[in-house]
Amino acid sequence: MTNDHDGVRELLAAWAVGALPPADARAVPLHLADCETCAAEAERLRATVRLLDGTPGPDARASGAPGDARDGATGGDQGRDGADGVLASALRSRRPRTPGVAPHAAPYAAAVAGLRALVRELPGRWGTPVVHDWDAHATVAHLVAADEHLAVALGVGARLPASRIPAGTPAAHAWELRTADAIAHEHARTPEETVATWAAQAADLLATPEALDPALAARAATVMGLRLPVADHFVIRAFEAWIHADDIGRALGIAVPPPPDEHLEQLVRLAVRILGLALHDAPPVLVEVTGTGPGTGWVLGSDAEPVAAELTLDPVDFCLLVGGRYAPDEVPRGLAGDERAARNVLATAASLAWL
Amino acid sequence: MVVPVEPTLEQPSIDVELHRRLVYGDESALREAYAAYGALVRRVAVRVTHSQAAAEDVAQEVFAQLWTSPYGFDARRGSLRTWLSMLAHRRAVDWVRREARHRKHTHADDSELHAIPDAGPGPHEAVVDRERSLLLHTALAELPRTQREVVHLAYFAGRTYRQAAVELGIPEGTAKTRLRSALRKLAESLADPPDPAAARGA
Repeated sequence: MTNDHDGVRELLAAWAVGALPPADARAVPLHLADCETCAAEAERLRATVRLLDGTPGPDARASGAPGDARDGATGGDQGRDGADGVLASALRSRRPRTPGVAPHAAPYAAAVAGLRALVRELPGRWGTPVVHDWDAHATVAHLVAADEHLAVALGVGARLPASRIPAGTPAAHAWELRTADAIAHEHARTPEETVATWAAQAADLLATPEALDPALAARAATVMGLRLPVADHFVIRAFEAWIHADDIGRALGIAVPPPPDEHLEQLVRLAVRILGLALHDAPPVLVEVTGTGPGTGWVLGSDAEPVAAELTLDPVDFCLLVGGRYAPDEVPRGLAGDERAARNVLATAASLAWL
Repeated sequence: MVVPVEPTLEQPSIDVELHRRLVYGDESALREAYAAYGALVRRVAVRVTHSQAAAEDVAQEVFAQLWTSPYGFDARRGSLRTWLSMLAHRRAVDWVRREARHRKHTHADDSELHAIPDAGPGPHEAVVDRERSLLLHTALAELPRTQREVVHLAYFAGRTYRQAAVELGIPEGTAKTRLRSALRKLAESLADPPDPAAARGA
């Protein structure tokens, strides 16, 4: 039995809480019968666990030996009535509920929910540098300005002071000026106020008839110099909200998950369409974006035969490339065929820089 | 040694996916989390509070926090099971402390006999046991995270130490050692009980 001593001693804590696999469980009592030291230690640990178990009160379920917890199942027998109460109360705690919008606006609704969850982690860290020369606060201020363009197109009331940017300023420049205005304005306020402004504008956008009705969202609107169906503009809003949430997450060391697969697919499809326009007379390249469902290969470029190259990209990497978060040389990719043609696609994707 | 294959092996990717859906406001993800871990959360809370009503409150707080602040959970740092279990435990300890303070205020003139009518072995002993139990649970809540995780899996979540090792991605020997260190520390926290005379014998 002397050989057992050290081994059993190591097991006593697991034994005391009832966490021994059957094979080990047999060895312990045999040794305890022979070894006073171990028996004393075992009793001391068991007494501790008995106190952890506690004395059940009048309304507590009997909780006896530690082995009781070993059911393995989810124990759905208790709290059946309470389930609805707990869930209903938990669901009420997140304001506002993600609205029941049409599929084209669902990615934006989700991205807004995701950023709202993220900003709860920001108190005390709003000054963290994020991207460009923006801190976290300025990044949210930028989103107020960025979402405003669609808000204006949809007749949603302005949240920022009126723009002083002269009419006729090129879209890209006007875009930068408006962001600078918004950041200057919001930096004079608290981050919480900026978040409230952004969230209220987002909620207004998601409550527009165009967010709820695909037929209304089919009409074209020019936003930031891009003439697209309103439905696509909603997808672009989702793209930007996610990319900037990801920026903030990276700056703070928080892993921001990619959008749900069905939303990611919507982002990819829109980005491919816009990329296709930019590449209309380039050498044709087959671009495959993996993992976003069937039929996710597109030939981008001219009608010339045959295809000059094949490119394979992960959907998140593809979105980060189009969002300007990857240099064309750095994005992980699979490549076959004419390297120059493939590089041209990557460089064009990165140069869209629409965020 | 080789650990037998069990469901917990897939847990990290399941947690990552569930977390992704929680972050993006998918209500069905909260329902799934509740279906999987609601019973564990209640079990932990009942162990500490000895009250189903309190466990209900704790469960509400825990799942509301998961829903409003999903980034409080980080799948890179541990499983959702241990995170929820530890959160429930901390909230339950807070509940008991609040309750004790409240009782002191409202029953300042009453004897403890009135405050706790549901005696087991005897009113006074029951009170002392409850105080000692709270002391232990407070000590448990203050253990280093690595030790707490093993205790939660092995004690509250009904895992064997081998299963706990797999779920935590640590060697079995480490799981045993952490469990042992944790339990010893808890036993030591009782070495100086508030009322030694009333300490029940083994």
